[in-house]
Amino acid sequence: MMKMNEQKHKDLGLCKMSASSNLNIITTVLKARFKIISRYKGALLFEFFIPIVFAALPIMLGTAIAGGSANAAVNFQNNTAYAGNPGTMDYKLYMLIGASTFMTVMLMLWLVGYWIRREQETGTLEPLYLSPAKKIYVVSGVTLYALIRASITFFVSFFLGSLIFGVNPFQGNILLAILFLFIGLIPLWGISFLFGALILKIKEANSLIQMMQWIVAFFMGVYFPITVFPPFLRYIAMAFPPTWMNNGVRASLLNLSYFFGTWYADLAMIFVFGAIVPLLGYYVFLQTERRMKRNEGVGQF
Amino acid sequence: MIQPIIKIENISKTFISKERKKLFRAKKRKIEALKNVDLEIYDGEIFGLLGPNGAGKTTLIKCLTTLLLPSSGTAWINGYNLQKHENLVRASIGCMLMGERGLYWKLTGRENLDYFGALYHVPKKIRRKKIEELIELLKLRDFIDRTVETYSSGQKMILAFAKSLINEAPILFLDEPTVTMDVHAARELRSIVKGLNENGHTIVYTTHLMHEADELCDRVAIIDKGEIIALGTPAELKSSIEHEDVVNVEGTIPPNVVDNIRALPGIREAIVKSEGNGKTKLGILCENSRMMLPKIIEVMTANNAQIEYINPQDITLEDVFIAKTGRALSIDTREVVKKRKIGGQSSR
Repeated sequence: MMKMNEQKHKDLGLCKMSASSNLNIITTVLKARFKIISRYKGALLFEFFIPIVFAALPIMLGTAIAGGSANAAVNFQNNTAYAGNPGTMDYKLYMLIGASTFMTVMLMLWLVGYWIRREQETGTLEPLYLSPAKKIYVVSGVTLYALIRASITFFVSFFLGSLIFGVNPFQGNILLAILFLFIGLIPLWGISFLFGALILKIKEANSLIQMMQWIVAFFMGVYFPITVFPPFLRYIAMAFPPTWMNNGVRASLLNLSYFFGTWYADLAMIFVFGAIVPLLGYYVFLQTERRMKRNEGVGQF
Repeated sequence: MIQPIIKIENISKTFISKERKKLFRAKKRKIEALKNVDLEIYDGEIFGLLGPNGAGKTTLIKCLTTLLLPSSGTAWINGYNLQKHENLVRASIGCMLMGERGLYWKLTGRENLDYFGALYHVPKKIRRKKIEELIELLKLRDFIDRTVETYSSGQKMILAFAKSLINEAPILFLDEPTVTMDVHAARELRSIVKGLNENGHTIVYTTHLMHEADELCDRVAIIDKGEIIALGTPAELKSSIEHEDVVNVEGTIPPNVVDNIRALPGIREAIVKSEGNGKTKLGILCENSRMMLPKIIEVMTANNAQIEYINPQDITLEDVFIAKTGRALSIDTREVVKKRKIGGQSSR
């Protein structure tokens, strides 16, 4: 009897798998995400103001406690100076950078994590899994969208915030700061896979995201340098890639110290994160997905 | 010799389901959704998978379309192994599984088709041409450029159907495609399905509407409680119980009548097909309807039943289901729907 695997295959209709069709998947997913969000214009607009509000809280609190802007600046410089690091008086810009990078990190996690959840809830996750598109290309389209949206939000809120707080955003090494921001997004891409896997598993992610938000803000030093942590917490914070991105951007713009003393050593560290975390994240995502398919399937929510 | 384009070998699927006891307590329970299913579907046929809700039809389709991993067994789709060549299996099929739920409501119909066309690796130029072709074929022109959220249920279903055709796959899986369509639209869709089949597509069609299967399918498998309980052409299945006659009765029928009829010698099965507004429809399978009719009427009048309509009829696939399971398909389906409503499940 002829075995099935010896049988000829019928052709695959209009399906023509190639490198360019894979690239087309990424761009189509990217465009579709932008089309969908463009139909919720308010959400995009308000997003720009979130980092500004985040930064405004500690700026006003600090100013009130110190008794004026000048005192707050001196206080802040004294408290951010350590072992050869002169610290900075520009506490407003410091907070604004922290809040903007924090927003970038959260958007990356939210947009990818919530994307999986929304697809599950609206029933479009199963059609994605039914198609021959490799998940890496679909997820790449979504993360690219998250990356572009997060970057736009960073720049708009950073410059808008600078205008509102009356600080000069064009100081220090801007190009290096942008480099730190973009290279720092690569490990974030991997973290978003891990986050996506977690959401695939636990499904209802609101409480997780709420909690993560504060943990991330705490460890990446949104409002303070992580040097104020006791050693144990400092090592935990330094194992988290966004901490390096945040510090790199700040150090480049405000002439503060890099963790390893030089910009290239810190950037190299982010590169190492960027090489490991996405691979690890994607592996965990695939394993979780397989486990789901063994039981109830990916579409159940 | 006709080759099977789908070959299923011993597929079983077991779920671990949680039975909620109290607020935080749940008891784990194993559910055998599919039990050693063996099946061959031939190239170029319309194959019907019939059965009540919860019978295992959708689980089988989900396994065959790579959405679920079987607990044991395997299958070949278009010559590709389910576990080894997932992507080629997916490229070989077009699917309409979740009905209107599998669409992006914030995108237009055209944007949805373009999106899924890209996911199926259909080159851009060909995609555009194919979308225009589908707009013509399925008469989508009036609403294709509106966002899906503004569509009626029937329009969403027809777009979901269009989506399953975007890659012109050799095999089509259609899971209850006419479920929210009006009679006219459903008839049109069935005629398009026939046309696709004439153009060489193999179609796997699941439904709980027996007349639909009777009209469309070259062969059908009746699936119940995860097992295939009957397989053949509609004519073969019907002839398998042809030595039996079917008598349909409608009226006000007290519940004990069914058991009393069932107890009559010569009666194979008596089943309540539907109930509502105090009226009951009974389906009775018997050896010789002419001989049994007076006895049936006698039992009914003796039990104060009011007969409004009684007639012996041709055997349908539903009668085959009754003969094989001792249950009516329509009742099964209604009970599931009722339970869902009580449970308050919502899809969105």
